[in-house]
Amino acid sequence: MIQYSIEELHQLFASKAIDPKAYYDELFEEVELQQKRLNAFVTITKEKAYADLKEAHFENLLNGIPYVLKDNYNTKGIKTTASSRMLEDYVPVYNAHVVDLLSKQGVCLVGKASMDELAMGGTNKSALTGPVYNPWDTSRIAGGSSGGSAALVASGVVPFALGSDTGDSIRKPAGFCGIVGFKPTWGRISRYGVIPYASSLDTVGAFTRNVRDMAIVTEAMAGRDNRDMTSSFKEVPHYLENLTDDIKGLKIAVLTSVSDEIRNPEIKANFESIVETLKNLGAIVENVTMPTQLMRTLLPTYTIIANSEATSNHSCLDGIKYGNRQPGKTTDDVMINSRTHGFGDHIKRRFILGNLALATENQERMFRKAQRVRRLIVEELNKIYQDYDIILTPNGGSIAPKVDEAYDDRLSDEYLILENHLSLANFAGTPSLSLPSGFVDGMPIAVNLSGRIFEEQTVLNCAYALENALNFKNQYKREG
Amino acid sequence: MNFEQVIGLEVHCELKTHSKMFSAAPVTFGEDVNTMVNEVDLGMTGTMPVLNKRGVEFAIRVCHALHMEIDELLCFDRKNYYYSDLPKGFQITQDKRPIGRNGYLDIEVDGEVTRVEIERLHMEEDTAKQFHFDDYSLIDYNRAGIPLIEIVTRPNIGNGAQAAAYLEKLRQVFLYTDVSDAKMEEGSMRCDVNISIRPFGSEEFGIRTEIKNLNSISNVQKAIEFEAMRQEKVLIQGGEVKQETRRFDEDSKETVVMRAKGDAVDYKYYTEPNILPIRLDHQWVMQIKDELPMMADERAKLYIEKHGLPQTDANILVASKDISDFYEETIQTCQEYKLVCNWLLGEVQAYLNKENLTIQQTKLTPAYLGKMISFIQDGTISSKQAKKVFECLMSEGKDPEVIIEEKGMKQISDPTTLTNIINEVLDANEQSIQDYAAGKDRAVGFLVGQIMKKTGGQANPKVTNQILIQLLKARVQ
Repeated sequence: MIQYSIEELHQLFASKAIDPKAYYDELFEEVELQQKRLNAFVTITKEKAYADLKEAHFENLLNGIPYVLKDNYNTKGIKTTASSRMLEDYVPVYNAHVVDLLSKQGVCLVGKASMDELAMGGTNKSALTGPVYNPWDTSRIAGGSSGGSAALVASGVVPFALGSDTGDSIRKPAGFCGIVGFKPTWGRISRYGVIPYASSLDTVGAFTRNVRDMAIVTEAMAGRDNRDMTSSFKEVPHYLENLTDDIKGLKIAVLTSVSDEIRNPEIKANFESIVETLKNLGAIVENVTMPTQLMRTLLPTYTIIANSEATSNHSCLDGIKYGNRQPGKTTDDVMINSRTHGFGDHIKRRFILGNLALATENQERMFRKAQRVRRLIVEELNKIYQDYDIILTPNGGSIAPKVDEAYDDRLSDEYLILENHLSLANFAGTPSLSLPSGFVDGMPIAVNLSGRIFEEQTVLNCAYALENALNFKNQYKREG
Repeated sequence: MNFEQVIGLEVHCELKTHSKMFSAAPVTFGEDVNTMVNEVDLGMTGTMPVLNKRGVEFAIRVCHALHMEIDELLCFDRKNYYYSDLPKGFQITQDKRPIGRNGYLDIEVDGEVTRVEIERLHMEEDTAKQFHFDDYSLIDYNRAGIPLIEIVTRPNIGNGAQAAAYLEKLRQVFLYTDVSDAKMEEGSMRCDVNISIRPFGSEEFGIRTEIKNLNSISNVQKAIEFEAMRQEKVLIQGGEVKQETRRFDEDSKETVVMRAKGDAVDYKYYTEPNILPIRLDHQWVMQIKDELPMMADERAKLYIEKHGLPQTDANILVASKDISDFYEETIQTCQEYKLVCNWLLGEVQAYLNKENLTIQQTKLTPAYLGKMISFIQDGTISSKQAKKVFECLMSEGKDPEVIIEEKGMKQISDPTTLTNIINEVLDANEQSIQDYAAGKDRAVGFLVGQIMKKTGGQANPKVTNQILIQLLKARVQ
C-alpha cells in the first residue's frame, strides 16, 4: 500500500486513478498489521469508514480522506474512552465540534487512537490498552499523550490524525515519530466535545506528514463555534492558499535558554544546522534568552495549573450519569467506588495534587501563585515577540525513550528546561509546530517553531520553507 | 437578660428564561422527568458552558430594582464539590465578583420603615432534583442548569416579622421585574436563614446557626421565632449555641439539626476557565434600567397621587402584580379609575376567590372590563344589569356590547319612547296621579315600578324619573 498525502490522495480519488474502495480494503489490511505492531488503536471503526466513503464524492480536498481521532474526541454512537477504565464502555450522545466540521468535509473515520489516560501523561504508557510503540523502533515509546494518533500517521496508516495538546501532547510525540505536529492558537479551534485536561491550556491540533496537509486540516477546523465561548470570532485565513516558502527577512529568535541545555552532541549539531539552514533561506536569526529562574518554573507552574483544572474538569466522571459505575450503599459510595475503580494510580496522584493546590488554605501560595508566575512567563515571552516573528527551539533533548525507561513526572535537572519548554506555547496560547529535522541513532528528532497568537500562517510558512530545504517530508516507517 | 436577634437571609430565585443559564436546553416546568436536558446539563465530559444573555439581563433588572452597584466586568467561578445532584461536579457561580453589590430594600412592619441592606447578588445554575428511596435514588435533570440568582442580605434583620416583610417585598421585586414566578411552595424562590442572638447593646455577634428547608414565608417567620427562643434558652441555661445547619420541621414547627459545622466542605472556588471575563456594554446595562417596569411602591404612589385612589385601595391593587397590570391596562380604555379599582377589588376578586383562579386564567380582558364600566357610566346599562354582563364576561369572554345586545339589556333612554310609555302608564293609573296631587310621594315609586314592569326593567331610571315628574306636574296642574 502506497502512502499518500491528503493532496495526492484527493487527486487520485478525484481523477479516478485509483479505486477508493480498493484503497480502503488495502488500508484496513494495513490497520490490522500495524495494530499488532504498534497497539495504537483503542477502537477500529471499519464500518463507519466504509459508510463515510459511500457518501464521498471527492469534490474537496478532505472528501474521502481517511483519518484517526485521538480517543478524547466525543463521537456520537462510537465508544470514546480517553483510554481510561472510567470510560471503558462510554458511548457519547454527541459529536465534538471539529468532528462535525470534518464530517461535513466528508472525511472517513478509520478509528479512535490510544492516548495517555485522560491525556495526562507524556509516554502513552498509562493507556488502558497499554503502551503505543514507536513505528521507527517498537522497543521505544511513541510519546504522549497523543501517542496513538502520532504512531498511526508516522506508520503511514492515515495521512492525518487529530490530537490534543495541553503541555506538549501533540508536539512531543510528533517529534519522537518524525512527523509534523501543530498546536494552533488557544481559541482558534473549538474545544467543544473534546474531553478536557486543563481548559486554559488545552488546544485542538493535528498530525500530518507534511506542512501543506497541516495547512489544509487546520483551515478545516479553525473558526468560531457558538458552543465554545473561548473560540475566536477572528476570520480564518486560507492557510493553504497563502502558504509560501519565501521567508526572506523573517525574524527568528533562537531561544538559547533552551538550546544551550542540549547535552546530546548529535542533537546539538542538528539544531545548529537548522539555524544555518534558516539563515541560508534569508531569515534573520538571532539569539535570545529568558531568565533561567523563570525557565526553571515551567514544570512546577504547569503541574499546578494543569492538575488543578484537571481535577475540577474530571469531577463529572462520578459514575452517576454515565461511565463505569460501581455499586455502593449511598450515592456518595457509588461516586467513591466508581472513581477508585475507574482511574489509574497516576491519575489519582494528579487529582490529589490538584486538590491540594486548590484547597482554600493552599490556593494563594500554590494555584494563584502558579497563575501569577504564568503571567510573568507570558510577559517575558511577549517581549521576544515584539522583535521576532518566530521562536526556534529544539523539540526536546533526546530521541524517543525505550518503553521500560520512559517515565512521566521526571524532575531531574537535565530535563527540567529542555523537556518542558514546549509548555511555553500553552501558557501563552501561541501557535507552535514541531517539524522533523533529522535522525539520531536511526530515530527521528525535531525542532519547534512558535509564533505570535493567531499568526498560524507565519508559523506554517516558516515550517514550509524549512521542510522544503530539508529531506524529511512525507516520511513514514512501516516495518520495524 | 434581654437578647436581640441578628438575622441574615440568603434567597435563591429561579429565573424564567427560555433556556438554561449555560446551555440551550429549554426551561420548562411540569414536563416529563429528564426530557428537558441536553449533554451540557448532564455534565457529559467535553461539554462547555455558553452564558445565557437573557439570564444576565434578568439579574441586572433585579440589581437595578434593589438599588445595587453593578459590576460591568462579568466573571464566573467554579464551586467544586461532589454531590449526585450536581452533574459536572462543580457549579458555575460568581464568587469573587458578584454582578450586584450594596443594595437595599425598605420594608414596613407595623407602620415602621426599616432598611434591609443587601450585600450581594450573584448568578449561578441550579442542580438536579433528587428523590431518595429506601434502597435507591432517582434523579431528574430537568432542573439542572436553570438560571438562579442568589441575594444575600447583611445581618441586619431584627426579627421574624421583618424577615417575612423583606421576603414579601423581595418576592414583589421578582414579580414586578418579571424575572420569576417566585413561588416558595414550588421552590422557584428559596430562602436560607442565618441567625444568632446577643445581649442588647453587645457589639459582638453570637454564634449563628443556619436554617434550611423553608418552603413558605410564614415558615421562615416561624422558624426564626422558634430558633431565637431556642438559642435564648440555651444561653440562659449557661450553654453554648453550636454553629450548625438546622432544618425546619413542618410537623413540629421546630428547627432540628441537619449537620454540624465540622462537615463543611471546601469548595475550592476558582475562575471558570471556559468563560473569559465579559465586559458588559454600559449602554445596555442602563437601557435595562430605563426599561424596568415600575415597582409596586411607585405604582401605589401614582395611583394615589394621579388617579386619586385611596391609599388602602392602591396598596391592595399593587399587592398582586397581575391585578395591578390588569388595572393599568383597563385604564387605557376607561379612565374611571375608582370604578375600575372597585370592580377589580370587588366583583373580580370575589370571582377569583370563589373559582380559585388567577386573573389570567379567566376570559376577562382589560378592554372588555373597561368597555363594560363605560357602559355603566353612560347609562347604557344599569349597575344591576352590569352584574349579569360581568358574569358572562367571566364565563364566555364575549364583547360586553354583544352580551348586552343578545340579552336585550340595553336601557331605554330615548325621551320620546319613554314619554309614550309613561303616558300609557299614567293613563292606566288615574288614582296614582290623584295621590301625587295630594302630596303622597309614594305614588312616584309605584309609577316607576309600573314603568319598569312594562319595559322589562330596561327603562333608564334617571331619565324615567325626570320625564315622569314632568308629566305628573303637567297633569295635576
